[in-house]
Amino acid sequence: MPAFSFVQPSTTDEALAALRQGEPGETVIVAGGTDALFELESRRIPPQRVISLRHLPWRTLSWAGESLRIGSTLPLRTLESDPDLRRRIPGLWQAVRAVGSVALRHRATLGGNLGRSSPASDLVPILLALDGEVDIVGIQGERSLPVDQFVRASRTTALGPGELIRSIAIPEARPSAFLWQRVRPANDISQVGVAVAYSPTRKEWRIAVGGVVPRPVLLPQAERLLSGPSPDAAELRAAAQEASMRVPFSTDRRASEAYRRQLVAILLQRAVRAAGSRPSPSGAP
Amino acid sequence: MTASPARLTVNAAPVDLTPVPVDERLLDTVRWRLGLPGTKEGCRTGECGACTVLIDGRSVLSCLALTHEFAGAAVTTVEGLEGDPAGARVRAAFEAEGALQCGYCTPGFVVALTSLLKERGTEASAEELLEDLGGNLCRCTGYAAIVRAVRRIHGEMP
Repeated sequence: MPAFSFVQPSTTDEALAALRQGEPGETVIVAGGTDALFELESRRIPPQRVISLRHLPWRTLSWAGESLRIGSTLPLRTLESDPDLRRRIPGLWQAVRAVGSVALRHRATLGGNLGRSSPASDLVPILLALDGEVDIVGIQGERSLPVDQFVRASRTTALGPGELIRSIAIPEARPSAFLWQRVRPANDISQVGVAVAYSPTRKEWRIAVGGVVPRPVLLPQAERLLSGPSPDAAELRAAAQEASMRVPFSTDRRASEAYRRQLVAILLQRAVRAAGSRPSPSGAP
Repeated sequence: MTASPARLTVNAAPVDLTPVPVDERLLDTVRWRLGLPGTKEGCRTGECGACTVLIDGRSVLSCLALTHEFAGAAVTTVEGLEGDPAGARVRAAFEAEGALQCGYCTPGFVVALTSLLKERGTEASAEELLEDLGGNLCRCTGYAAIVRAVRRIHGEMP
C-alpha cells in the first residue's frame, strides 16, 4: 500500500484544484524534488499526498528589455545555460552554478529553492540583491511579493496553504556577483554566501548575505557605505567591517560564528570588486 | 489528472508503472525491480553521484527522484549506453586510462560525463567538464586517472 497519494497536475487549474482537496498540512509540494525528497526520506510519518509540479507549463524564461522572468519550475541547469544570463546578470549565473552538481541542477528549480527557504540558500541572497519579486498564484487569486517579504525564517515563507510560486521576476539586469565558501564545491552547503548588485537606475548597491539563521538578510547599512559603481578600497573596508559586525551569524556544525564574520568581510570586498570590474590591488579575484 | 501514460522506458524497453508504489525511488526501481545493478546507491542524499542516470538524455540523481514523476520519459542507465556514441567514447576513454579502482563510482562518472558531452558537445573545455563533474565522488580518491580520461575524451573531440 503506497505511503502517500501522488498527483501530477499539468495545468494551473488542475494544480489549484489539487490544493483545494485534503488538509493542507498533509500535502507536500515537489518541484525538482532534490530537497523535498531528501527530507521525505528522513520522515517518520510520511505525508498523505505529494503534488509534483513537473508537468506544469512553468518551465519558462523570458527577457523583456532589462527585466527577466523565470518560471518557478524551470530547471536551474536550463537557467544557467541561457546565453544572456552570464553577461547580463553575472551574480545570478554564479549563484545558480553554486547550487549542488549538474545532475542536481537538471532537476532543482528556483521556485523550489525559494519555497523551501533554507537559511543557507545560495539563491535567496542574490534574489534579495536583485530586488526579485515572487509571483504567486492561489485559490484566492494572484499576488506578488518582494523576496525580502516572501522569505520569513528557516523553512518558513509567506506562501499560504492554497498557493504556489508561479514565477520570479528580476526587475533589471545589474552588475552583480555571488561568492561563497564551503568545504566541497559541488556536494556541500555554503558556510557563507555573499551577493552584491549595483542598480544603474537607483545608483545604489544591494548587499545580501546567506548562511545566517533564521534567513538570508539584506545589509542596508553596509550598502550605504559604498558610493558609485566602483567604490575605493577604504569604502570597501568600511562596508566589510559593517557587514561583519551587523550580520547575526551563529555557530553550527558547518562553521563557527567567528569564521563566518571573517569570511563575510573578505567575500564582500571580492564580490563588490568583481561586480564593479575593479581589479583588486593584489591581482587576486 | 495524470494524463501521461503510466509507463516509462528504461534503456528503450517499456516499463509498466502500475505495480510500482508511488513512493518508490527511481534508484530502487532500476536496481531492484528491473535488476540493473550498474546504478549504485552511494549516499542516498544526492551528494555522491553514484546513482546518476539519464532522463531524456540529461543526468539526474535517481536517489532523489520518484519513479512516477517520470511517466512518459526515457530513462537510460549505464547498461543502456552500449549503443550510444557519446557513452561509447566515455567508456573507451575510461578503459584506456584504467580510470577506476574499486569501480563503485564508475557508472555514475560515465553517465554524468556522457550527459555533459550530449549537452555541451565540443563547446566545453576540459576544465569546464572537470568542474561539472564535481558532483561525482570517488571514495578511493582515484581521481588522477579519471582526470586523464576526461582530457583524453576532450583531445579526441573533432
